[in-house]
Amino acid sequence: MVDTFHHLMAGFAAAATPTNLMFAFIGCFLGTLIGVLPGIGPAAGTAILIPLTFQLDATGAIIMLAAIYYGAMYGGTITSVLINVPGEAASVITCIDGHAMAKKGRAGAALGIAAIGSFIGGVVATVLLVLVATPLSRLALSFGPPEFFALMIVGLVLVTSLAGSSLLAGVLMTITGLLISLIGLDPVRGAPRFTFGIPELFDGLGFIPVVMGLFGVGEILATAEKPYREVIKTNLRGLIPSREEWKRSMGAIWRGTGIGFFLGLIPGVGAIIPTFMSYIVEKRLSKHPEQFGTGVIEGVAGPETANNSYANGAMVPLLTLGIPSSPTIAVLMGAFIINGLAPGPLLFQERPDLVWAVIASFFIGNVLLLILNLPLVGLWAKILEIPYQYICAGTLLFCIIGAYSINQSIFDLWVMLGCGVIGYLMRKLSFPLAPLVLGLILGPQIEKSMRTSLEMSAGDFSIFVTRPLSASLLALAVAILVFAAMQFAPKEIRDPNAD
Amino acid sequence: MRRGWFVTAGVFLALFAGTAFLSFKLPLLDALGPGPGFFPLILALLGGVLALALVVELKRDPQAPAGAPQPDAEPFMPDQGALFRIIGIIVLLLAAFTALDPLGYRVTSFLFIVLMLLVLGVRNYLAIVLVALALSFGVFHSFYYWLKVPLPIGEFGL
Repeated sequence: MVDTFHHLMAGFAAAATPTNLMFAFIGCFLGTLIGVLPGIGPAAGTAILIPLTFQLDATGAIIMLAAIYYGAMYGGTITSVLINVPGEAASVITCIDGHAMAKKGRAGAALGIAAIGSFIGGVVATVLLVLVATPLSRLALSFGPPEFFALMIVGLVLVTSLAGSSLLAGVLMTITGLLISLIGLDPVRGAPRFTFGIPELFDGLGFIPVVMGLFGVGEILATAEKPYREVIKTNLRGLIPSREEWKRSMGAIWRGTGIGFFLGLIPGVGAIIPTFMSYIVEKRLSKHPEQFGTGVIEGVAGPETANNSYANGAMVPLLTLGIPSSPTIAVLMGAFIINGLAPGPLLFQERPDLVWAVIASFFIGNVLLLILNLPLVGLWAKILEIPYQYICAGTLLFCIIGAYSINQSIFDLWVMLGCGVIGYLMRKLSFPLAPLVLGLILGPQIEKSMRTSLEMSAGDFSIFVTRPLSASLLALAVAILVFAAMQFAPKEIRDPNAD
Repeated sequence: MRRGWFVTAGVFLALFAGTAFLSFKLPLLDALGPGPGFFPLILALLGGVLALALVVELKRDPQAPAGAPQPDAEPFMPDQGALFRIIGIIVLLLAAFTALDPLGYRVTSFLFIVLMLLVLGVRNYLAIVLVALALSFGVFHSFYYWLKVPLPIGEFGL
């Protein structure tokens, strides 16, 4: 614990340098902007902005990109409250009571409590992250390739079973993501696979162009179907909630913090589930559940806190185990890799300076976001008035810059466009995209750990079930899959006694 | 919309069949254990079985599987105006990618923004030109000179 404290203090010293403070501020600002602009989700937004960090050192780059991520989680609230359109998926539930509050002239209080709740949730979740990071990374250091293989399978199974409304569609998308990740040189023998003699494919399909296509171009094409929206003018005065509103919000904020953090630890849960769960909990605990949906402040405070607490909690599996829990965290993982870093337990040993500076920057970032969100809420509301057509054109242009500048390759642009069309079609057909992205980023590691394990056992597959931890994790994966299959099964299978 | 799921299941089947075929051409096992073709083959076989299961389930029950669009779901094809915008965006992106290296970022992005805004229905020509200038020449200056992000200059040095 003393070690952790010393590392954290050193992290604060690094994160609080003027340069890194500036990167955290820029990241928070751009992240909030991404959250405010409907049509650009945090995954595409973070990917688009990766080129901004090319000239930065690894610490500054990761601080800025992480700030963009949790800034976007904050910013989505503003559009939910003011125009009833969530800036990102996690803010969907805030539309219900947040927008109802805006219609009653309490938009300021809704945005105020969302910012304060997000601040408390973010800070408390970061404290919990500090407490669990070292023990968890030490535990992960004892893992061998079979355990890592089993752990990543659990992560993929969770994402697959929670991502969409059809389990079959989720599994098919995961397998597709895994197969796409195998394009290029074989990681163990170096033999080319599925490259068809195209030199650009020897390094595989770029992760960033694929994500920008699926989430950036795909989203723009989807919203081009109905590109017009109405901005409602509303009262933004009175950002500080009244005494009564405070009293009603505090319980929701603490419960939202707990729900968000603990669900953030589970790979695959995504940011939507904690917010919905928080809303349901608040409604169940309320003495007047019938008022939910008419503009009650607990319906904003709980989910918004859970949203930001989740964002910080989800950094735990990334930093300690190297497992991303959502597409946006996968983009962050991609940014680590671009900077020559492999997130996971070894990072705590090899680059403690970087890891702890990034963790310390979460505290600083949450303070910056509170400052950005309360006094500048009028500015964000003004940005909502920019016609969608300009945002669409600008976003596509930044997608082009982002995809091109990583390798200065026109080929990456074609990949982005192809993935954009696929992303649009998959959206229309309700096929989940998150499992594909996670399969894509985890694929090389899953294959490598599987093949290394089999080399250790001279090709004997029982290595995965004879080691206790690996066997337990695989049993857990099977249990999750069976449970999910039961949920998706027809009613007569789930309940044979039903008429 | 359900036809879209049938088509997608068919595409998945073709993808997995192709992958399985190509995997067989790679060494599946070698002296050290599994070869480069092993993992893709396993995935392709598993995917193929699941894609077939999806086809069977779609055929068997019009309400299944859970999550698939129901027969009365909204039509897959967007209306004419939306289709024009979507095709317009794709065509302009194709044109921009083709022009990026020879014309450079500034000229390409200026033309791209002007045409994109026209396709999306903007008719304020002054605003179109100002936004296009900012996003082409302005963004180039910021990224190329300040952030040192490499962007194509083009054959005319513009």
